[in-house]
Amino acid sequence: MFVALVRRSFARHRALIAALTALLSAFQILDIVVAYKLQQNAVYSQFAAMVPSFIQEAMGGALVGTFLGAIAVGFVHPLVMLSLSCAAIYLASEPAGEVEEGLVDLVVARPVPRHVIVSRSMVVYVTGTFVVVAAMFATSRATVHWLMPGQAHVVAASRLAWLAFNLLAIVWSLGAAALAFASHVRERARAAGTIALLAVFLYLLQFGAAAWEPLRPFARVSPFHYYATMQTLMGQVTPATHIAGLLTAAVILLGVAYVLYERRDL
Amino acid sequence: MTLPDAIRTESLTKYYGAVVALESLDLTVATGEIYGFLGPNGAGKTTTIRILLDLVRATSGRARVDGLDCRAASVDVRRRIGYLPAEMPLYREMTGIAYLQFLAALESRRVDESYRRKLFARFDVSDIDLRRRLDHLSHGMKRKFGIIQALMGRPPLLILDEPTSGLDPLMIEAFAETVHELKTEGRTTIFLSSHVLSEVERLCDRVGIIRRGKLVRQTSIADLRRDTPRRLRVFFDGAAPSPPSSLAAAVRRSDTRHWELEWPGPLGGVLDALQGLADIEIEPFKLEDYVLKIYSGTPGAGA
Repeated sequence: MFVALVRRSFARHRALIAALTALLSAFQILDIVVAYKLQQNAVYSQFAAMVPSFIQEAMGGALVGTFLGAIAVGFVHPLVMLSLSCAAIYLASEPAGEVEEGLVDLVVARPVPRHVIVSRSMVVYVTGTFVVVAAMFATSRATVHWLMPGQAHVVAASRLAWLAFNLLAIVWSLGAAALAFASHVRERARAAGTIALLAVFLYLLQFGAAAWEPLRPFARVSPFHYYATMQTLMGQVTPATHIAGLLTAAVILLGVAYVLYERRDL
Repeated sequence: MTLPDAIRTESLTKYYGAVVALESLDLTVATGEIYGFLGPNGAGKTTTIRILLDLVRATSGRARVDGLDCRAASVDVRRRIGYLPAEMPLYREMTGIAYLQFLAALESRRVDESYRRKLFARFDVSDIDLRRRLDHLSHGMKRKFGIIQALMGRPPLLILDEPTSGLDPLMIEAFAETVHELKTEGRTTIFLSSHVLSEVERLCDRVGIIRRGKLVRQTSIADLRRDTPRRLRVFFDGAAPSPPSSLAAAVRRSDTRHWELEWPGPLGGVLDALQGLADIEIEPFKLEDYVLKIYSGTPGAGA
């Protein structure tokens, strides 16, 4: 029963997952090829000088203008983070869509416990985004090996993996928020749209906090605050605490989703 | 040992905010019975069905299926039910066969392939239809898939909301045949909501009529047939006489040649009282006439 529901949900969302995987993997290739060309032409110092300091800080610090920093862009660029977040949010909002379309009348009218619906959506958004980030990671590694066969060690795979996992933790916490909201409302657009706008707002909050001191205390509520890109890539920090915090928030929100879905009218 | 009622609701009440969808609904459906659940749009039929399936939660009161509480033993209750919603939700991108296989995978019991094949044959669903995407099918064909998905698990309780809506007369006949077959086997209770009153009259043992969330009448078709006044037109050879005292109260209209009467109960009393009768027209019992009176709130129509 559970497997059938998961397969059905993946079948409905396979185009989204496949398109995002292709797009973000292509972005990794493009990013690293551009970084490689910049390095070959030795223009990093000029490039770094062109980027305002608060943007450098928002994007991970002074190492933005380095080859290592350019590789990190593939995991820290706003387009990457927000498109992944929106994908997780959309996948997680399926329960509201099923209520809206009446499909819940077919599924939950059968001996399917309600918690299975929430678990199904959790598995789908977690696995779906994991597949995309795993493909980004593999593409990034493969491109570095292809362009710089002797210097692939510049970015240790384990550091890049931590970065990828940190990104996933952010995305999963936003997906959990979407699942909790979708367990309460009846329209998918409302569930996904509201949390997607919230994600953009939280991203801008974190971005703004890098430029404007008074915003910094508020940036703590943003999941994007817990993403120390350059320090992670340089091996200065292991983001285990950030990841644990984000996953704890996700687990709490998932708990809320189970409770809300169990109590609601479908 | 007596079997519990297939469905029993006690003081079932549901509010949607300030809107009363159901108010103290007491309903019983015996095991093996075919029960017609009637009411105008918005009367609370679908809400009742959705409470039985635990899709919505009652504000107060209880609903039981086979003695099991629809809320506390929700999964066990749904294991016993095959459900056809009034508006058939579809995964449009699926083929018919993939749709049925997906729904079969959600059942707790194995779907009997030979029975499913029999349903395909009865409802004239070809292999080509099975391989077509659901969004390419006509409304009637989608409805057939709806009926088949509800029946295919051979559940002990079928809840069918507007089952024949959109079906052609041949398929309505196929549906009636299936209901008769299930009734003959005696293992299945059918709870059927419909606006097609001739169909309800033909198929159901009992009906419950709901209006504005309240059960107005629950009775057997046989009792209704017996208790509902019949309309008679009596024609005489020559001038119509004055009605005898035993018939006077029943005469609704009269002129020089005929009377129109509404007569409750057996017709022997009327026929005995008639002298000089040339012709008589007796309108057959129509559930429709009775139900429409209740829908419109005509005094005396309900219990």
